[in-house]
Amino acid sequence: MSGGLRIGSREAEQVHASCQTEVEVKHGVGLHARPSVTFTRLAKSFPCSIEVAVNGSDIWLNGKSIIKIMGARIRKGSVIRIRADGILAEEAIRALKDLVERNFDEEKKHGRTA
Amino acid sequence: MAAPLRLKATSASPGVATGPAYIAEPLAAAASPPSNLSGHAELGNAIKTAIRELQNLAAGPDLEGMDIIEFQIEVLQDPTLTEMAGARIDAGENVAFAWAGTLDGYIRELECSEEERLRARAVDILDIKNRVLSVLTGTSLDDFPAGSIYVGRDMEPSRFLAHDWSAGGGIALYAGSAVGHVALLARSRSVPMVVGVGQFTTEGRQHIEVDGDSGVVVLQTARENATPAQFGHPATSTAPIADNGSLHTADGEQVLLSINVNAPGEVDSIPAATTAGIGLMRSEFAVTSLSDAANEEKQFAIYRRLLDWADGRTVTVRMLDIGGDKPLAGLTGASSLRGVRLLLARPEIARVQARALLRAGIFSNLRVLLPMVTFPSEIDDLRQIYREEASELTRRGVPHGIPPIGMMVEVPAAALMLDRFESADFFSFGTNDLTQYLFASAREDAGFAPHQGRTVPAVLRLLSQAVKLAGGKPVSICGDMASDPSRTADLLAAGIRHFSVAAARLPAIRSAIVGLNADGTKAAGE
Repeated sequence: MSGGLRIGSREAEQVHASCQTEVEVKHGVGLHARPSVTFTRLAKSFPCSIEVAVNGSDIWLNGKSIIKIMGARIRKGSVIRIRADGILAEEAIRALKDLVERNFDEEKKHGRTA
Repeated sequence: MAAPLRLKATSASPGVATGPAYIAEPLAAAASPPSNLSGHAELGNAIKTAIRELQNLAAGPDLEGMDIIEFQIEVLQDPTLTEMAGARIDAGENVAFAWAGTLDGYIRELECSEEERLRARAVDILDIKNRVLSVLTGTSLDDFPAGSIYVGRDMEPSRFLAHDWSAGGGIALYAGSAVGHVALLARSRSVPMVVGVGQFTTEGRQHIEVDGDSGVVVLQTARENATPAQFGHPATSTAPIADNGSLHTADGEQVLLSINVNAPGEVDSIPAATTAGIGLMRSEFAVTSLSDAANEEKQFAIYRRLLDWADGRTVTVRMLDIGGDKPLAGLTGASSLRGVRLLLARPEIARVQARALLRAGIFSNLRVLLPMVTFPSEIDDLRQIYREEASELTRRGVPHGIPPIGMMVEVPAAALMLDRFESADFFSFGTNDLTQYLFASAREDAGFAPHQGRTVPAVLRLLSQAVKLAGGKPVSICGDMASDPSRTADLLAAGIRHFSVAAARLPAIRSAIVGLNADGTKAAGE
């Protein structure tokens, strides 16, 4: 389930920020329906804006939009840039990068790759 | 007995199932509740309700099903779609059309994708589009009888999930995909399924077999009325006459007898073989709200159901005759217009219906009738809409056909000038409106009704002139006058050879026709 906003007292001092990272997708079939859902749900749990650009493209897609993320043809070997702007931007970037590196938790969820 | 008909298909889920065919049904019609919410709030509420419905479905034990529902919920919460629909609402579009239009755009995008994985998602989007439209209309997706074989172009995942498969059953899709969500669900629940059967016709409740192992559909019994041999049962005097609505006057001239239909369920109790088909389907009685008017799938299902019933006989669907004294729930701002004038003033309504009819047009027995035509240019303009929507369907790879397009003759000016309507493929006389407009009488004018007998001679003169002006194109009559056996002689004399009547009047009109000569005189010996 998508949780509420993650504004904890711990992060209170780093409220507003801009942040960017780059990560390679290693997951076998890329971002099809299920991993896309996992990604956008996590993105939506942060209050900052989150955008994604694929393989050096300068078109930035709304990282909270399943139809944009799923339509971006992200697959194995794709390099995605993720940028966040606003409250908890840094944490959002870290969490999303971790998720991609963990193969979107696919194995954990289903005990197999999709 | 003839060998069973086997249709080649693609296996999507193994196993063999036999059961009565369930032809994908339209949603039950209901009037949309009056609403004074803003469009944004109304759509927001409908989306929330749809999400709640999906969450209830997800409560089941099915892991694959959960994924699909989670995906659909995520799409319903997609900020991009909400923004696009919101922009359409701000631009003045009705909520239902704003939602349907936004989702249609995305469905088209998916359908044109090079990746099958993405193409297979189109039906999920169709599913949520319809779910939200159903909430806006206040109806819900219908389940179908347990144990039956679902037959349709495609199947919504939520329909699969809501269905009780414990009694068996299977799925045969005209189109569909073996990697789609429903195929995946079918495999996980061991429901036999085939896809890509192509369009085939079968009657509801007829037993068919889905063989998911070898990828075939078996239509086990050849239907009796599929063969022209109807001479074999002479002694069924109490049964309705299975003459396919083709009868002869006493002096041997052929006359056709069709039925008028309002709601699609009306045909269930009528054997198609007692008619020449449907001469008038008043679509405004099956499409009763603006949300329905935005719902291409629902309309398509209605037309398909009638075409299945007719089994090759003609089905004439009149496009929405709304406006004036026939309001459509939720439609505002154009109430002074009626019929084709309203359709041309609100092309978003006409386009949805045109798409549904074009898709149903793969059946060559479909005809489309335009209501309240006054000028030839109105037919040309509407034809243009059909051409544009047809090329869009071609681009998307959706099977379709442009049906013959005819016109209601119910405006006196049109009846007088019928030879000028070159672009009409056929004509159908609507005597109720024709009489009303000819006599400057308001329909609700009760005081005028007792004298209606006096209107008959002028109407008949107009009709017989118009029949001559029709230039040999098919002409029929579908107004109340056609259902009145005391007028049959006059109408025959006026040159009418095709009557479309209320189903209950079939026997009366049939016996009137066979007792008369083609010129309307009584047959000798009567």
